[in-house]
Amino acid sequence: MKAYIAKRLAWTFFATWVTLTITFILMDLSPISASGAEFVDQQVQAGMDADEARELYEEQLGYGDTMWDRYVNFMVGLATLDWGLSTTYNQPVVDVIANSWIYSFQYVFPATVISVVLGFAIGLYSATHQYTREDYAATLFAFTGISLPNFWFAIMLILIFGVYLGWFPIFYSTEHGLLSLENAHQLVLPVVVLSTSAIASEMRYARAESLEYVHAEFVKTARAKGLSEGQVTVRHIFRPAMVPLITILVGDILGLLFAGGYVIEVIFQIPGLGLVSYEAIIQQDMPLVLATVLVPVFIAIIGNLIQDLCYTILDPRIDFGDR
Amino acid sequence: MTEQPLLSIRDLKTHFHTDDGVVKAVDGVSFDVHRGETVCIVGESGSGKSVTSESITQLIPMPPGEIVEGSVYYDGNDITTMTEDGVRSLRGSQIGHVFQNPQGALNPVYTVGYQIREAILSHRDVSKAEARELAVELLEEVGIPEAPTRVDDYPHEFSGGMKQRVVIAIALACDPEMLIADEPTTALDVTIEAQILDLFRHLQQELDMSIIFITHDLGVVAEIADRVVVMYAGKVMETGSVEKIFENPAHPYTKALLECLPGQAGLEPIPGALPSVTDPPNGCRFHDRCPYAIDMCRTGEQPPLHDLPGDHAVSCIHYEDGDGDLPELEDVDRMDAAIGGAR
Amino acid sequence: MSTDTDSKHADVTFEDIDWEEYDGAREFTPLMLAKILVLGGITLAWVLDWQFGSHRDPLFTVDPAGILEIAPNPGNVEWLFTLTIAVLFFYVVVPLYLNPRMTRHYWREFKKNKAAVVSLVFLGFIFLLAVFGPFIFGRPEIDITNAYQPPVFAGGTWAHPFGTMQSGEDVFQIVIIGARVSMMVGLIGCLMIIVLASAVGTTAAYFGGMVDEVLMRFVDIMLTFPTFFLILYVVFLYGGDLFTIILILGLTTWTATSRLVRSEALQRNEEQYIDAAKNVGAGERWIITRHLVPNVSNTIITAATLVIPSLILYEAVLAFLGFGDPNVWSWGRAISVGRSDLQNAWWIATMPGVFLFLTVLAFNFLGDALRDALDPRHE
Repeated sequence: MKAYIAKRLAWTFFATWVTLTITFILMDLSPISASGAEFVDQQVQAGMDADEARELYEEQLGYGDTMWDRYVNFMVGLATLDWGLSTTYNQPVVDVIANSWIYSFQYVFPATVISVVLGFAIGLYSATHQYTREDYAATLFAFTGISLPNFWFAIMLILIFGVYLGWFPIFYSTEHGLLSLENAHQLVLPVVVLSTSAIASEMRYARAESLEYVHAEFVKTARAKGLSEGQVTVRHIFRPAMVPLITILVGDILGLLFAGGYVIEVIFQIPGLGLVSYEAIIQQDMPLVLATVLVPVFIAIIGNLIQDLCYTILDPRIDFGDR
Repeated sequence: MTEQPLLSIRDLKTHFHTDDGVVKAVDGVSFDVHRGETVCIVGESGSGKSVTSESITQLIPMPPGEIVEGSVYYDGNDITTMTEDGVRSLRGSQIGHVFQNPQGALNPVYTVGYQIREAILSHRDVSKAEARELAVELLEEVGIPEAPTRVDDYPHEFSGGMKQRVVIAIALACDPEMLIADEPTTALDVTIEAQILDLFRHLQQELDMSIIFITHDLGVVAEIADRVVVMYAGKVMETGSVEKIFENPAHPYTKALLECLPGQAGLEPIPGALPSVTDPPNGCRFHDRCPYAIDMCRTGEQPPLHDLPGDHAVSCIHYEDGDGDLPELEDVDRMDAAIGGAR
Repeated sequence: MSTDTDSKHADVTFEDIDWEEYDGAREFTPLMLAKILVLGGITLAWVLDWQFGSHRDPLFTVDPAGILEIAPNPGNVEWLFTLTIAVLFFYVVVPLYLNPRMTRHYWREFKKNKAAVVSLVFLGFIFLLAVFGPFIFGRPEIDITNAYQPPVFAGGTWAHPFGTMQSGEDVFQIVIIGARVSMMVGLIGCLMIIVLASAVGTTAAYFGGMVDEVLMRFVDIMLTFPTFFLILYVVFLYGGDLFTIILILGLTTWTATSRLVRSEALQRNEEQYIDAAKNVGAGERWIITRHLVPNVSNTIITAATLVIPSLILYEAVLAFLGFGDPNVWSWGRAISVGRSDLQNAWWIATMPGVFLFLTVLAFNFLGDALRDALDPRHE
């Protein structure tokens, strides 16, 4: 068990290193990097001192003349949390992230909780009531939910509930305190949009995984013991289905929530990580773009680690010798 | 036998509604189980043995399954008319179940101790610690060595035979009066099978339970049965004491089954296959494969069970004339001609 | 075959099969020839166009009737799209036509799912609209005098059935062009995934050992990278026109499918016909292309079909955010434009969105039904 955890940690570090290397190579080979001279020229023409322009460019894309130098600087910078200076915000990238994450968290967290609870509950119900009318309705909802383009759904909700009915504000405002009722009110639509697709997708997975166990022999054993339907469903269908569901939760749902959050922040103008990243891309603020891409990557890597550790607790059959 | 039977199944019909039509898995089955006796249900795969046994405590999936007709009297009360809670209070506490495949019968994510405790706690008002003690005792009773430590092991740490012992321990958790064992040894090695059969015999003597034992292996029947129910395509072909069935089989199907036993002089396979259960043939379900079939066998319904001397009954028209035996094979064609001529 | 009958131990030698020759001989069936001619022709034309053609001018212009305008102005995407359609024709339509028994069997399985049949009809309609629509109904053009016309069912006229945008572009024409973009993204991307995933997956499964380890660990790492951000990052660095975006989408989304293909191929690799092929001396390339790939093709097709909806959605999101091709009217871009006009022209964001939603929904239903029909293990 300890050896397994050690191995898993080593793999995490290795994977992180490979991911960062790929990120660097992609950046270093890109036309944005190649156009360095052009960039400096432009800045000089725009009235900037040549040395200053060069400095600015290096600040954005990493120091060094050879690719190896740039690579080493890049990695050392990341490791020491020196992620560069954002040109749009004029402050260290780390600070920008530190100031904005709470705006993302405040609606992604409730959306995650809602979608996990509802998605698993509906999926479980659907699986134990296969081929009933409720099951078909739930499946139809799931297909609709995964097919609805997040951004369009958000706009349609704004059109109906914001523009026509006027129940909810069209744009997010930072004037209200994070824990105020007004803030909760203006976050209703973002949470609805984000959780709809997440519920749909979780419900599908939960249904499929639970179905594997609905007709399992041990479920029959459990019924033959005289357990109630509720006990059978929770203990003998849902609990074993949890094991594969954990994988999905981290792998797919995390990605879904991040990607969904990105467009939602752009649409509702919520100043979270997504909007910061969006503006950084528009402004060609390289260090900030890199940081806002790497934050979800790190979260995903850590999520994967936690997921694998959960696996060892949830599934007694796991073979620690493997991997 | 004048005392009231512990379990009495009357004209039970369990059907499954599928895309391809209604599967009449059990189509009018009746038999009794008395206290302390072992009744074996025998038949080929697909003859409705398992569905019969699972219909007793309504373990069949509903829907698509449905008990369309008939009654199941347990201790004088009809289970089919009980509420769900009523049926559930019987399961485990009065009637224990053991299933065919021990590999799948235990939930892989719980310890065996947990799974036995679960059965105890759902029917008895005992503390968790007491339930654990009981679980250890049960494991010892079914012959698991080092029970106090094994109780905290997970199912995958047990062998197939040991798993089946655990499943039996779960079934025995609340001292049921009746144990329903659905091919409990089919998935096991021959040596393990013998051990498990020994265990069943031992348990029955010790606890004085009624056992319904489902199998397709007549060798097993000969070893443990008091009485036998022969099923074919959802119908009962013949019932009787184990002596009657083995020494004096009445139904052509039973005769054919016994002839399939290895070691018998003329090892004869039964020609043909089970008839369709969605659209069963008219008349006797077995007529297609029966050498004694005459035209009358091919029309109408399955003949009713006809009482023979002793504890014995058969569903075959050849016994309705009262001579108590099948006709000679060469006479079969002549009988058709005679009846045809009379008509 | 020569056997030495004098010897007590018959000296049996197997006939040596010249695999090269056998492989080569197959190429001279008329179908193979047609395949090579068409696919090669399109590729050649593409290369010529890329080398010598000017992308501003149409190759040729025909204006037979007022409504029909043929002015092909193929960019890289158009060539790739043509190539994809040709591949689809030769590897989906032709085999289905040549094996009517198999086709009937699949159809029987498939048509059990009513939603999928409706989806197939709808997608067929969208496909035809995408391929021929722009030539029949024309491309959207700026027409300031016609700004903000409502759609026909909200008081507009049939001249602009879905209304117009703030600069007078016809929403119906935009919907058609958007359908073309979405079909391009979905089909080309799907084809890329099929090629990449089956190449990597079967190679890993066949060679095993270090090759497998390295390839699959790489796939593991790529799968950890949240796809949306990977796409966003690469589009930010390299993006621009539709062609690049489609390439990026294909190159970043094949990993999950390749893992699936590998596990499927591993199971197949255990089967006896692989051993049989090895025993008669077939080469590795032969075994992979003739035995492994055909036997995992159902898995590949199903998995790739299930990726199409997300490809289309990714492109739409990119276009919506403004990171797409600024010269192409994608559904996502149209929704983005309509967003600023929600107060006074709801149809601009609504109409393309409805089509986007229905197309994605139909692909999801279709993929689900394909899995049921093609994948015997799936219930």
